[in-house]
Amino acid sequence: MKNDESPLRPVHWFWFVVATMLSFSAFLLPSEALAQVPARFYWKNLSNSNGVPVIVQSVSGNTNPFDHSAIVTPGANFDVTLALVGYARTFSLHNRATMFAILAPMGRISGDVTDAGRTTKQSAAGFGDPMFEFDINLHGPRAQKLLPDAIRYQPGFSIDLLGDLALPIGHYDSKQSLNLGQNRWYGRIGAPIVWQLGPWVPGRRTTLEFLPTVWLFAENNDFVGKTLKSDPLFQLDGHFTRDLTENFWAAFDTVWFAGGKATIDGVAGENRNNLGLGLTAGYKINDNLGLTFGYKSTINDSAPDALRLNQFSFSLVYGWNSVVEGMNRLKHE
Amino acid sequence: MKTAVLRSAHGPVRNPTNRWAFLKQSGLMGMAAALATPAFTFAAEPHRPPNIVIILGDDMGYADMGSFGSEIKTPNLDSLAKDGVRFTNFYTNPTSSPTRSVLLTGVDSHLNGLGNMDEWAAPNQWGEEGYEGYLNNSVVTLPQLLKDAGYHTYMVGKWHLGKAPNQIPAARGFERDFSLLDGAGSYFDMTNFTAASPRSVYTENGRYLARLPKGYFATKTYTDKMIEFIGANHGDGKPFFAYVAHQAPHDPYQLPRSWRNRHVGEYDKGWDAVRQARLKKQVELGITSSDTQLADRMWFVPDPIVLAPVARAVLGKKMELYAGMMENLDYHVGRLINYLKKIGEYENTIFIVFGDNGAEGTDLFQMLAGAPGTRNYLFAANKWAQTDINAWGDPGSYVAYGPMWAQVSMTPFSQYKGWVGEGGIRNALIVSGPIVKRPKGSINNGLMHVADLMPTLLEVAGTTYPKAYKGTEVPPLIGKSWGPMLAGQADSPRTNQDYMAWEIFGNHAVRQGDWKIRWEYESIGKGKWELFNLAADPAEKKDLAVERPDKLGEMIAVWDTYAKANNVILPNRSMFETLKDQLPPRVPVDPGYPPANYKQQFVPPKDMMANPK
Repeated sequence: MKNDESPLRPVHWFWFVVATMLSFSAFLLPSEALAQVPARFYWKNLSNSNGVPVIVQSVSGNTNPFDHSAIVTPGANFDVTLALVGYARTFSLHNRATMFAILAPMGRISGDVTDAGRTTKQSAAGFGDPMFEFDINLHGPRAQKLLPDAIRYQPGFSIDLLGDLALPIGHYDSKQSLNLGQNRWYGRIGAPIVWQLGPWVPGRRTTLEFLPTVWLFAENNDFVGKTLKSDPLFQLDGHFTRDLTENFWAAFDTVWFAGGKATIDGVAGENRNNLGLGLTAGYKINDNLGLTFGYKSTINDSAPDALRLNQFSFSLVYGWNSVVEGMNRLKHE
Repeated sequence: MKTAVLRSAHGPVRNPTNRWAFLKQSGLMGMAAALATPAFTFAAEPHRPPNIVIILGDDMGYADMGSFGSEIKTPNLDSLAKDGVRFTNFYTNPTSSPTRSVLLTGVDSHLNGLGNMDEWAAPNQWGEEGYEGYLNNSVVTLPQLLKDAGYHTYMVGKWHLGKAPNQIPAARGFERDFSLLDGAGSYFDMTNFTAASPRSVYTENGRYLARLPKGYFATKTYTDKMIEFIGANHGDGKPFFAYVAHQAPHDPYQLPRSWRNRHVGEYDKGWDAVRQARLKKQVELGITSSDTQLADRMWFVPDPIVLAPVARAVLGKKMELYAGMMENLDYHVGRLINYLKKIGEYENTIFIVFGDNGAEGTDLFQMLAGAPGTRNYLFAANKWAQTDINAWGDPGSYVAYGPMWAQVSMTPFSQYKGWVGEGGIRNALIVSGPIVKRPKGSINNGLMHVADLMPTLLEVAGTTYPKAYKGTEVPPLIGKSWGPMLAGQADSPRTNQDYMAWEIFGNHAVRQGDWKIRWEYESIGKGKWELFNLAADPAEKKDLAVERPDKLGEMIAVWDTYAKANNVILPNRSMFETLKDQLPPRVPVDPGYPPANYKQQFVPPKDMMANPK
């Protein structure tokens, strides 16, 4: 043993492990378009960690991606540039890994809107409805209250309980149907599932992830002067994710919508039954910063009233934990 | 015979004209000759001698089995202890291949070819007889003699005694084998450690293997093969000698995932607490006396109390893996035991269990691959870079637990493998089977040595050690039969005048009765002779060299006798030669010092608390 290699030399692993725990790919907040959270969103990390995501999306299709009820406007075509900024914090609640997050969408949307046989061009810009999310793990590893918990984290088979609630305070113009804000309360409950397949080693991690959720919507009593009701919408997200290297991963994404029939002044629309597929690539730039790039598209969407969306997304997430930041500062002294 | 030239890095050693003649002059040969004709006959089945199974753990520590105080669960090994006898004063050599050479020949390692490990032979030892780095041709082996006596001879596991066709197990007496010829390597494949020798070399029944069997995992495959060997000839009326030289628990700690998480968090409390717990259990079991003190923690190993929980968790994870290695080893030993019970051979089988040296506290991987820019470093980056904590145990990962846990494995002793403190050379020994007439489950404190196996097992087989083998004179044995002791007729195979001696890498020592001297490189040693009374101080805490110069002088004379008789050439280079410059300066280990690290937050009396005005 050399004197510059104390018996604690293995402890340098702890830095690496902590860095892995704080890779913050998991802090990617829900993307609005296709209403699907990215893969690896519900991986757990050290309690009292923080994350700030910046997500930019370019979406085209026949539904307003700011509207989670995915109301299809037949024949319409929307182009959306969307940015989302959020904040998330992890903590322990009764020894269970818990996360609270807030997401503020903003951006611009423009498109052709057909109403009563008349097509008009509409656009909107500003803030959408902010959404709060609360997620608590029910089955799986206990909360990572201390660094030893973090280095031992492996999801195994974990199930969370998820609740989202959007506040109807986003920009809304009752004179047009295309809006950023939705002028009604809505939210969802769900059960995120992460199923670890094989070893939990950076470079070799593989997961199968599911998120069954039900979206619930209040009425919008001023939808271009009409009343908009939406039935509960069932959504099932699925991801198969795999590390390609220690810092680079990819996911095959699916999303399925069912139900969610919209009724406008008593005129009922159709229930959704749509399937979307996508790919996501993620890269950990450093211990604090991660990015993803993804593409998703609906399939079997040629019918006029079928949901049609194509989405490119790019995200950058900055994460930190005060203890780890402090240790990093000491390390560089 | 070639005249031996004795050289020393620390000064000349007188050269006898013929070392075996010297043995005769010194009277030691008489002891060996006496051993050649058994004075004691084991009571075995009249129609067939007992089978012999030697289970050798590689780097297994003195305190790593449950029956020797460990919290590690080893029910199968412990069952042998329960059926047999545990021995607390059993010695091996300080490192692997020398111990194996002595085990299989009964001849001192400086005569049988393993005067130094092949990997670390010093320039002044190159070309010298007794320092070939493999079992030389002057010796006859235990399996050769047992085979001549009618035994089947099987080997699985680590050989480490030569790779050339005339040096492999099949050439040295084993009828069937499945062997790793190297000193270590991957448990899952043929990956070895250096760019110069990137592949481990294996033999099966005398043929070099181009690849390993499907589903290979060392401990499992060795056991499978041994069961296959025994089964193939079972029923032909011949006894067998099974040398089960497991690679486990030698680093790298690689094992199936299902064995890695059996002690999660258990070692976060740190090495001091585990050492104390093992000592307590050793006292309860009767392995050691209640007044036994733990050896000092190595001065360069921190008190775990001052470490952050995450540091203890990461370092504890290494011990978790080691415990998994031990429990996996125990499981496969249990498979062999159960197989022998199933075929009706267990009752007529002698089991001998021990480790080949002290637990490993030196970072072997760092020594081999630690220098960036070297080809070994590049090789390690390609083959041994599975460094994530969750990859520990996988193929391509190299985990060793370091000096702190090695001291735990060697509780209550000082030091570890490669050194001649008790922690480097004393090992746990279990003997069970029909030759044991002592009370089942008992403990014996007799002075014993791995060299004793040859005379003991030849007696078991009803044969003798020859003066010459196939026309070539063979060196004398240095061991003593355990026969009378196992029969309950003596408490020790040795008297207080008999001595045992060790030398490796220049570290050397002698024990005679309760007294021991040792010379070791600084800073772990002092670079000069130290004297200990092991009866009063088994942890070697108090150096009596200054206090008892008379005894020191006597013991040095014993060392000189041993060195001359056994061709000891102290090396002019050693793996420890620069250790003093590499380790932090040696300081005393005073628990609780400095107080600044231990004093807790002062809490004023509540009734005296106030807010500022």
